[in-house]
Amino acid sequence: MSTTTDTLDQQWAATKERADGFARAAPYTNPYLAGIGLGLVLLSAFVVMGRGLGASGAVNAFVAWVVSLVAPGHAAGNEFLQEYLGDGSTHPLKAWLVFEVLGVFAGALLSGVLARRVAVITERGPRVSVGTRLLMAFAGGATMAFGAALARGCTSGQALTGGSMLNAGSWATMMAIFGGAYALAWFVKWQWR
Amino acid sequence: MNAPFFKYGMFGDETSLVIAFAIGIGFGFFLERAGFGSARKLVSQFYLNDLAVFKVMFTAIVTAMLGVTYLGWLGVLDVSLVYLTPTYLWPQIAGGLILGFGFVIGGYCPGTSVASMATGRVDGLAFALGLPAGTFVFAELFPWLKRFFLTGDFGLRTLPDVLGLSHGLVVFLVVLMALGGFYGASVLEGIFGTGDAPDDARQ
Amino acid sequence: MRRFSALSLNQKLAALAFLLGLGALFISPARGGAVSIRPDELARIVQTEIDHVTTDDLADWIMQGRADYRLIDLRDEKAYAEYHIPGAEHFPITRLADASLTRNERIVLYSDGGIHSAQAWFLLRARGYQGVYILRGGLDEWRDTVLFPVLAVAPGSFEARRNERLQARAVHFGGQARVSTGGSPEPVPVAAAPVPVTAAPVVAAPAPPPGASAPAAKKKKKEGC
Repeated sequence: MSTTTDTLDQQWAATKERADGFARAAPYTNPYLAGIGLGLVLLSAFVVMGRGLGASGAVNAFVAWVVSLVAPGHAAGNEFLQEYLGDGSTHPLKAWLVFEVLGVFAGALLSGVLARRVAVITERGPRVSVGTRLLMAFAGGATMAFGAALARGCTSGQALTGGSMLNAGSWATMMAIFGGAYALAWFVKWQWR
Repeated sequence: MNAPFFKYGMFGDETSLVIAFAIGIGFGFFLERAGFGSARKLVSQFYLNDLAVFKVMFTAIVTAMLGVTYLGWLGVLDVSLVYLTPTYLWPQIAGGLILGFGFVIGGYCPGTSVASMATGRVDGLAFALGLPAGTFVFAELFPWLKRFFLTGDFGLRTLPDVLGLSHGLVVFLVVLMALGGFYGASVLEGIFGTGDAPDDARQ
Repeated sequence: MRRFSALSLNQKLAALAFLLGLGALFISPARGGAVSIRPDELARIVQTEIDHVTTDDLADWIMQGRADYRLIDLRDEKAYAEYHIPGAEHFPITRLADASLTRNERIVLYSDGGIHSAQAWFLLRARGYQGVYILRGGLDEWRDTVLFPVLAVAPGSFEARRNERLQARAVHFGGQARVSTGGSPEPVPVAAAPVPVTAAPVVAAPAPPPGASAPAAKKKKKEGC
C-alpha cells in the first residue's frame, strides 16, 4: 500500500490522535453489566410501550419525509416510503423511533461526557487514511440501511428486540448478521488491523 | 397492573414520543458505556479479539427475555400485546447477511453510529450519512424488490412455535446457550488476544 | 455461603441467570380471562370510525396479497361454506375467545350486515384486543361494491377508468358488474347472464387489474423497527 515510513507515520498519527483525544478516558464498563442495563431499558420499552427498540425505522421515516418534500408525488407512489407517510394526518418525523434515536444521541453524549470519552477523531485501523475510512464508513452505512430495509430492522430492532421476544424471523436475521459479518471480516481486515 | 401501559391506553401518542426520547437516552447511554461508540471496539468482535458485542447483546437479550417471561407469568405484562415483527424468512436472511457486510465495512450499526456521532466520531457521522443513501436506493428499487420482499411469509412465529417446545424450555435453552457462549468468548479472547482491541478509549 | 461471595461478579451474574432460566421451565404464562372496559375510549373509537375497514380497502389488501391481518367470518357454517370472502376464517362469536387470535394481530371482522361484527368487536375490545376492525357494511356491502358493483352511466374519462377498475375487480372475485338502466329500479348485469356466486378460491397475489391506481387508504403508519 505504501512505504514503511508512510505506514509508520500513519500509525503514529492515529495513535497520537487517540491519545490526545482520550487522555483522561475511563475504561469501558463490564460488558455484562452494560448488557443488563441495556436489557432493562429494552424491558422497560416492552412494559411501557409494548414495543422494543430500533433505529433503521427512524432512517426510513426520515428518507420518506425528505422525498415527500422534494417529490411528493413520487413519495406517495412509492409503496415502501408510503408506509412511513401514512395517510398524511401526522408528520412522518413524529414517529416513536425518530424520538428514540434522538434520545440515543443524548444518552450516548451523556455517557461519553461522564467517562471523558468525547473527542473529534476518526476511528480507523493503523493502515488506512482518514479519507479511506470515511468513505468506507459511508459505504457501510448505505449497505446496512439497505439490508435493514430488507430485513425489517437492524441489530437493535431484530437481533436485540426480536431476539428477546424469541421471534423466529429475528433469530434468523440475527444469525445472518453475524454470519455475514464474519464472512466478510477477512476481506476488509486491512481497514482495521 | 396493566402493561404494556400504552396498549392499555394509559397515555396518548404525544406522551409516547416523550417516552421514546427517555428510553432512547437509556439505550444510548448503555451503548456508549460498553464502548460501542467506537468502531474499533465493535469490529473486534469479528476478528475474535474482543467479543463484547456478543456479550452485551446476549446479556441484554437474556435480561429482557427473562423479564418478559416472569412479568408475563405474574400477569403484570400482557405479552400478546407486545409488538412482534412478522417473519418474512428469505428477505430477512438476505437482509441479515447484507447487514453483516455493512457492519464490518462501516464499523457500526445504525444505533451505535448515532452513539458514536454523539461522542465526536467523524466516521460515525459518515456512517450515519450513508444510512439514508442506502434506504433511498432500496426505496427506488422497491418495485423490483417487492416480490422478494414479501416471500417467506410465515406470519408471527416464535421459536417455541417453530421448535415445538414450551416457552419455558426455550427460555432455559437460550440462557444455557448464552452462558456457554460467554464462556466460549473468554476462551476465544484468550487465544486470539485482546491486543488490537481497546479496553478503553485510549488504546 | 463463603464460597459464593468468593466468586467473581461475572460468575455471580451467571449463576443468577442460570437460576432464573431454570425457573422459567416451571412457570407458564398467565391466562387472562378478565374483561375490562374503558367506556370513554371505546366511545371515542366508535365515533371516529378509525376501526372501520371499507370493502374497497379489503379488496385491495386481498388483491395485493397482504398477509398482515386476519379476516374473520362470523356467520354460520352453512353461509360460510356457500361463500366467504377469500382468506376469511370461520369463527362463530362464541368461539372467538378460544380462537388463536393474539391481541396484537390485526383482526377484521365481518358478518352479513354490521350487527354481529360490531358486537364481536366490542367483545374482543373488552378483552384487550387492540387491533380489531369491522368491515363496514359487512358482506352485504361487499356484494354491492366489490362483487356486483354498479357502474356509472354515461361515464366521462375518469368514470370510465373507474368502471374498468370496478369491473376487473368484480371479475377477479368471481362477480360481475352491473349498470343502472333507465327507469328500472334494479341495476342489471353488464354481461348477459349473472355469474353465480361461488366460493372464490383463496388466491395468491395476482397482478392488479389494468388501470387500477393505489387507493386512498386509511393506512396507519408502520410500527416497526
